[in-house]
Amino acid sequence: MLTRDQVELIQQEIDGANTPEASAALRSLLEQNPEARAYAAELRRLSGAFARVGERQSPPSLRQSILNALPQPAASRGGIVAWVGQRLNLVGELLEGAIMNKKSLLIGSAAVAVVIVAAGLITGFPPIGGSSGTIGGVEKATRYHGHEMTDADISLKNPEIQALFQNDQVLRLVQSDAFHQLMASDAFRTVMATDAFNKIMQSDAFRQIMASDAFRSLSASDAFRQLNNTAAYRTLQAQDAFRNLNQADAMRQLNQNAAYQQLQAIDAFRTVMATDAFRQVMANDAFRQIMAQDAFRQILANDAFRSILANDAFRSILATDAFRTLSAAEAFRTLSQSQALSQDFMREAASQQVSAQAKN
Amino acid sequence: MKETPLATDEEDRALVERCLDDERDAAAALVDRYEQRLFNVALRMLGNVQDAEDVVQTVFFNVFHKLRSYDPRFKFFSWIYRMAVNESLNTLKRRKPMVALEDDLGILASGGGADGATEAEDRVGKALQSLKPDDRAVVVLKHFMSFSYEEIGEVLGIPVQTVKSRLFTARERLRVALDEGVRSDADS
Repeated sequence: MLTRDQVELIQQEIDGANTPEASAALRSLLEQNPEARAYAAELRRLSGAFARVGERQSPPSLRQSILNALPQPAASRGGIVAWVGQRLNLVGELLEGAIMNKKSLLIGSAAVAVVIVAAGLITGFPPIGGSSGTIGGVEKATRYHGHEMTDADISLKNPEIQALFQNDQVLRLVQSDAFHQLMASDAFRTVMATDAFNKIMQSDAFRQIMASDAFRSLSASDAFRQLNNTAAYRTLQAQDAFRNLNQADAMRQLNQNAAYQQLQAIDAFRTVMATDAFRQVMANDAFRQIMAQDAFRQILANDAFRSILANDAFRSILATDAFRTLSAAEAFRTLSQSQALSQDFMREAASQQVSAQAKN
Repeated sequence: MKETPLATDEEDRALVERCLDDERDAAAALVDRYEQRLFNVALRMLGNVQDAEDVVQTVFFNVFHKLRSYDPRFKFFSWIYRMAVNESLNTLKRRKPMVALEDDLGILASGGGADGATEAEDRVGKALQSLKPDDRAVVVLKHFMSFSYEEIGEVLGIPVQTVKSRLFTARERLRVALDEGVRSDADS
C-alpha cells in the first residue's frame, strides 16, 4: 500500500511538478517498489489518454459573434466598456440564469411582445356574458356580435372606465376595423384558448408586470412602437429562429439569421434596449417569473401566437397613438388587476363599436 | 493552449488598459487571445459545443462589462478563466437531468464523431463527464490547459493542496471510467 506522500510524489512527477531532488527520490522508489511502478504506469497511461485529445477548434462563427457584440465606432458612446456595460445592464445581470445575453435580450423582447398582446386581450373582446369571464376570455372566446349587447352591458358605473372612453383616441381604437379584425381573427381566438396563455394571464406575475410603471413606460415609448413595426423584427418573429429561442442551438441560428443581423443595426432596437424602462422590466421579478414559466415557452412556440404577432391588424393597433394612450393610462393598468373591470371595459368597447356601426 | 498564462500576464494587463481607454482593437485582441482557450475549457466541462459557445459569449460580455472593476493586482488569466469555469458550473446546474444525461451520452459525439473527433476524445470526454464538476474543473485545467497547481489554485480560488487532492480523487475515478469505457467498447 502506497503512502500518501508516495502517491503525491508520483502524481507530481506526472504533472511535472517535482523538484530534481524529488524526482531522484521517486526514481529510487520506483526501483524498489513494484506497486509504485504500477501506479506510475497507470497515471502515465491516463495522462497519455488526455494528451492524445487535441485542442478543439471553436466554431468559426463564435469569434465573429463576440466581436459583433462590440460597438461599432459610430455607435459607440463612451467607449467599449460603457457600451457593453449599457447593454449588459439591460439584460445580462438581470437574467443571470439565462444562457446567453443576446438570446435573453430577444427572449425579453418576445416576452414584452407577449405582454403587449395580452394587454390587448385583457379587454376580453368579444363580450363575455355572465360571471364566468376570465382575463383572456377563454371560455367565451367566440366571435364578437355587437347586437347582443344590452343596456345593462353599457351602463358603466366605473368612472375609470368611462374616463378611458372619453378619450377620443381610445374610442377610435376600439371602434376601428383593425381592432375588430384582430379580436375576430382565428389566431386571436386560438391563442386565447390555449392553456399556456391562460396560465400566463392568470398569474400574479403577469398582473404585477402589467401594473408596473416600467412596463407602461416601455410600451408607450416611440422606440418600442417603431421596433414592433420594423420589417426585420417582424420577419424574425415569423421565423423558426424565433420559435426556437429556448433551444440549445438558438444562438447559432440567430447569428446566421439575416433578420436578426438587420435588427441589430436598427436604431429603434438599440434604443429600446437602452431605455431605463426596458431595463426595469427585465429586472422585474414578475417579468422573470413569466419568462421562467413553461407556459411562456409554449406561447412563444405557438403558431397562433406567432400569427398574431405577424397580423397586420395587430401591428397597426400597436402603432397607433391610441394604443399608446390606452396602455399608458392609469385606468388601463387597473384593468389588469381586475376581471370585473376588464369585462366593463370590454362591454363598453363593444357598445362603442355598435354605436359606430349604427352611425355608419 | 499550452503556453503559460503567467508569461502573458503583462500583455493582458496592457490590453486591459487599452480597453479601458476604449480601444476596440485591444478588445478584439483579448477575444483572440482567450476565445479558443475558453471554448475548450467550457467544452471539456460541459461536453456540448453549443453550451460551450454560450458560455464563452457570456464570459466575454461579463469581462467587458466588469472590466472597470477588474483589480490589476490579480492576474487577468485567472480572472477570465474563473469566469469561464464558474459559468460552466452554472450551466451544469441549470441543466435538467434528462438533458444532462442525453448530453453525457452524446458527449462530443455531436460535435465530434461527425466532424473528426477521435475515439480517444470520445472516451476521454465520457470519462470526464463521470467526474464531479469541481473535480472535472481541476482535470480540465491541468490536462487541457497545462496549468500548474498554483495556477489552478489561483483560477479556482482553492489552496494548492486542495488542487492536488482533487486531482488524485479525479484520477482514481478516471482510471475506472476509462477502463469501463474500454470494456464497454469491447462488449459492443
